[in-house]
This record gives sequence, structure tokens and C-alpha cells, in this order.
Amino acid sequence: MTTLPTPPRPAFDAELKAGLAVVGGMFPPTITPDLIDFMRTSYASPPLDDVFSERRIIRQDHTISSHDGSPMLVSVLRHAEATGVVPAVLYAHSGGLMFGDRFSGIDLVLDWVDQLGAALVTVEYRLAPEHPDPHGREDMYAALLWLAEHAGALNVRADRVLVAGASAGGGLAAGVALAARDRNGPALCGQVLDYPMLDDRCATPSTAQFDGVGVWDRVSNLTGWDALLGAARGSAHVSPYAAPSRATDLGHLPPAFIDVGAAEIFRDEAIDYARAIWSAGGDAELHVWSGAFHACDIFAPHTAVGRSMIATRNAWVEKTLAD
Amino acid sequence: MQELLGRIARLDPSASLGLRVIACFDELVVGRVNTRALLASAASLAACTAGFEQRSPARVVRIAPDGHRDDTLAPSRRSELTAHATEDLRVWLEREGPQQPNDAIILERLALAVRIRHGHGRREFDNRRYVGLLVDETVEEEQRCISATALGLVAGRRYRVAVAPLFAVWTTHPAGPEDVVPTPFGPVHAVVVPADHGELDATPCGIGSPTHVSELHHSFRTAMVALRLCDPPSSPRVRADDLGGIVGLLADSAGAGHHPDVERLAAVLEHPWGAATIDAIVRTGTVRQAARDIGIHHSTMQDRVETIERILGFDPMDGFGRTRIGTAHIMWRLENSRVLELPPPPAGR
Repeated sequence: MTTLPTPPRPAFDAELKAGLAVVGGMFPPTITPDLIDFMRTSYASPPLDDVFSERRIIRQDHTISSHDGSPMLVSVLRHAEATGVVPAVLYAHSGGLMFGDRFSGIDLVLDWVDQLGAALVTVEYRLAPEHPDPHGREDMYAALLWLAEHAGALNVRADRVLVAGASAGGGLAAGVALAARDRNGPALCGQVLDYPMLDDRCATPSTAQFDGVGVWDRVSNLTGWDALLGAARGSAHVSPYAAPSRATDLGHLPPAFIDVGAAEIFRDEAIDYARAIWSAGGDAELHVWSGAFHACDIFAPHTAVGRSMIATRNAWVEKTLAD
Repeated sequence: MQELLGRIARLDPSASLGLRVIACFDELVVGRVNTRALLASAASLAACTAGFEQRSPARVVRIAPDGHRDDTLAPSRRSELTAHATEDLRVWLEREGPQQPNDAIILERLALAVRIRHGHGRREFDNRRYVGLLVDETVEEEQRCISATALGLVAGRRYRVAVAPLFAVWTTHPAGPEDVVPTPFGPVHAVVVPADHGELDATPCGIGSPTHVSELHHSFRTAMVALRLCDPPSSPRVRADDLGGIVGLLADSAGAGHHPDVERLAAVLEHPWGAATIDAIVRTGTVRQAARDIGIHHSTMQDRVETIERILGFDPMDGFGRTRIGTAHIMWRLENSRVLELPPPPAGR
């Protein structure tokens, strides 16, 4: 314990700060290991059948085989009228690597299904600490291989696959893009990394700025990475597919869309990741949203900041993905 | 956000969602957001479109739960879901079907926030509610007494203020006046109860000193100190009464400053044995009692006491040293309190 004061930090946007009065009741700022069970209850996705039917989205579940032969559930969502061969999105959900399910935070990406006509493949990857590294990331990669192999049967374009994820899922999506490059895997047309969890070392200035406030503070992040990596966290033995900030070469990756809040711990690692892509000659679009706490577009999509984040991201995805 | 409120209610059926709605609008007013943002929050909390109409100059705004303008044809307004913010300004909820439990409080808070946004009433004063005025010492005594009367408190009787985080678990709710009050540590739930009120069943909860009506601001500050000393589950509630004179001093001190004893104590607490040892020293009278308290040999305790003396620069077992270490320990606990950041334990819920 230290009595060092928390460094000064950017303020939350007023509308978002008001939202925190509600969000804090189900997603506390500081998540310690003893709160994992609480979060598994509070962050579980609600029943979505009504949402799907209202938006005319058809859901098909498939049990596929993961990297170690374990069965794994994926859901394919597509619009009732998207009958031809359509672009596909491989989606990794949020939840700090420890909680959430394949429908957590899905509302935001449903726009890509009913407005852009894409097929969304969302993955029930295994969670830490019960399933430490490499399961989460290799589950995601196995889902990419399955998607590419079954493109014909799924009626999706193998040459138009986007990988996307939010928070912990953003880190997994970045890891999938790195692995696909290094393993000569399926081609990706883009990667959407929403406020991604990229760096297990937890040592950036923005990490130190947010302690006990907002959503997903410094301690929560340590809890998540410790659950995934155990004693290896912060050591030289961490795979870049698990913690993409560890990658030394960010060249030859699909175009990246990265967004992050200015008022959250992931601000600096997201900025650094974009910078490293540019340094390697790659294509990245980076948006840093003033006053935004982590995942504020999921929790408070009605706010001016939330609406802007969603609209900006959707425009990039349309440009990258749509026929 | 209505979906989030639903999750909170499922996690803790006793949770007061009304308090969260109040806290949300309090932040919107403090943040000086515009009419559209107020309507967007109301619509998101209610999960139906929220509307605003100004007669002169004529202006209508309708915002859907996703924060976008609602361009659909407006349904006819329901009088029970319409509120006058001023003579000239009206707000409403476009609820289809039966009224929902939080509709009334959302509409009330929306109307008040719109009224303030449009320059009616003084932001700092008139629009704060009675409990907030009652516990603020910078408010004139006359205004505090008016607030107390409006709340049904009786001059001459003694009361206490109890405070709890918005996420506190209440087994039973006391009957006294209550509200959300902003503090530098975030919004808290404050309730005024008679001085002789029995045990309060909230976790965590700080219970202030008993005072007369005009001094309840002091009771509130002692309750805040007590709350920040809670450490559930081992100390779910702290009573200011149990802390004696020091609670009054801490309640009225300016807070963060330079405290060498606290900084040195923090160095002691970096030892793995630090927290338990300091706690035992503060609560007992001798090295032997402290050793017995945590089940170690007294010579081990003696070694630790010597280490502590070396770091602190005074003997924690001797005379005024006991007062110094006790004070430093309470101040360290206050500075490092996380009680306002953590949710209730999930067990059984």
C-alpha cells in the first residue's frame, strides 16, 4: 500500500458522469477476484429474442471444435433479407476476459447486421481464470478458421471478413489479426478494436490515472490479466496474441479502426498501438473521445459522446465491409 | 439505461432505483448539460421517448431512448405523464401502456432539471432539496431550520444523520427523511433519524453524532468520517459515537494535507505483517496483549514494535506515542478508504 496520490486525470463528460450513477450499480469501478462471480451475474446478457425478431435478425447456433478439440458455441446472426453471399464479421465480446457471453454488448454491432447486411459470427470463447491463456485467443482463432472453411455453407464472402471486438474482445480481435498474419491464416479486410485491452504490463500513465473511478480501473485490469496469465503476467513469456502490445512488428496487418476514451486506462495503449501500426507503414484510424469512460457507448449510448462514437465506427465499418 | 436499472434490481431487490435516478439528474444539473441531453437521459432511463415544449418562442423537442431525435408522429400527451417545468415549459414521457414504477421520479427530476437549465430559480440554492440544505454548514442557519421544519423535524429534539453509498444493502429502511447528497467522495444516501434510533441495518453505513436540528451538518460530516472507516464485511457499520472526540476533529479538518506520521505509517503497512500488527497495537494496551490478540509470541511482537518505532521515529506503546499512532492509523484508513467505490457483497443475491 502506498499513500501516493492518484495523478490528475481528465474529467468525465457531464452526461457520461450522470450515467455512471446508474452504471456503478451493476459494474463497480474496481473489480477484484472476489467480485468475478458478481460480475458473471451482473454482466450476463439479457434475453435477446425480442430484439432479434424486432430487427428481423435470424440467429443460428453452431457447435464447432476449438483448437484443443473442445466443443464451442458460436452464433451466426444475419438479417432476414440478407439472403445472398454477404460480408462477415467475427466478433469477440467484452467482459475483462473473465465474464460476459457472446451476446454481451451486442446491440452496437447489430447495426452492421440489419443496416449493412453482414453476417455476424459471435464466439463463446472460454473465460479466465478457469481457462487461462491460450484458450480465449485460440478459441477465437479456431472460430476464424471455421468461418473461412465454411464460408460457402454459411453464404459469406471469404474475401470480406472483418474481425471486431470490444474491450477484452478488442484485444482478442487484435490477437486474431496478428495470428492470421503470422500463420498465413484467412485474409481479413479489417480489424475494429474498441477501447481494446492490449497490454498485460499495466504500466501506462493512463492506467495510473484511473483508480477507483469510472468503468474498469487499474485494479480491475490487473485482476483480468492475472486471471488470464497468472504468474507470467508482465514477464517476458507473454504471447503477443494474448497481449498484442507485446508484438514487435505491426506491419502487414489489415486496416485497423481503434477508438478509446480520453478518460480511461486503455487510452495510452490504444494510442501506442495505432502509432506502432503507422510506424510499420500500416493503416490505422484512431479516435480518442474526450470525457469518455471505458465502454461508455455500451452503457450510455444515448449521450452525445456515445452517439458520436457509434456513428463514427459504423461509418468506417460500412466503408470497409459493405458491398 | 432502463435495462441497467433492471439489472440492478435483479442483483439487489432492495436497491432504491429512485435514488439512482435522482443521483443521475443531480450530475446532469451540476454538469450544466442542455435540454436535449436531459431528455436523452430521461428517455434512456424510462425506455420511451421524452418530450419538451416551450410556448414562446415555440419549440418542441422529442428524444428517443437511443438519444436520437424522435421524428415519428407524436402520440397524444398523457396528463399523468406530463409536468410543467414552468408556466411556459412542459416535459412529458411518451409511454405506451401502463405507467412504470420509475416514471414519476424521472418526470419530476426532468422537470426540475429543465427548469434550472432554462434559468428559472437559482442553481445553487432554491433547487437543492431540503436534506441537502440541512447538512450543508455554508447554508444560512435560518434556511437550514426552514428545511428541517419542512422535513418534519422538531426543533429542540436531537437527531443523527446516517450516510451510506447508493449501492448499500439495506435490510430495513428507517422512516426518516432521506435523499441523495453530493459530496467530494461522490453522491451518498443520507437519512435523518432520531438520536435514540436503534441499530440501522445498512451495509456499509456511517452513523453520525447526535445533534440539535441546527447542527445536523456536523452530524453529517461525522457520519461521512464513520462511513469511510467502514470495512465490510468485518466492519459493516461505524458509529461516530464510538470514536470519541477525534471524529469531530476529522470531520472538520480540511482533509488532505501533509501528515508525516501518516506517511511513515504507510511505510510500516507495506510490511506483510503491518496491517494486523498496527491494528492490534492500537486496540490493546501492552506488547503482550497485542501479541496475544493476533496469536504471535510476545518477543516477535517486541521485534515488530521496535521496527515500527524505528520507522515512525517514536515509541507507539508509550504515552503520547499511543495517541499519535492511533490518530495516524485512523487518518491512513480515511485516506485509503474504498468503501464508496465497492459494491455490496454478492453472496446470496
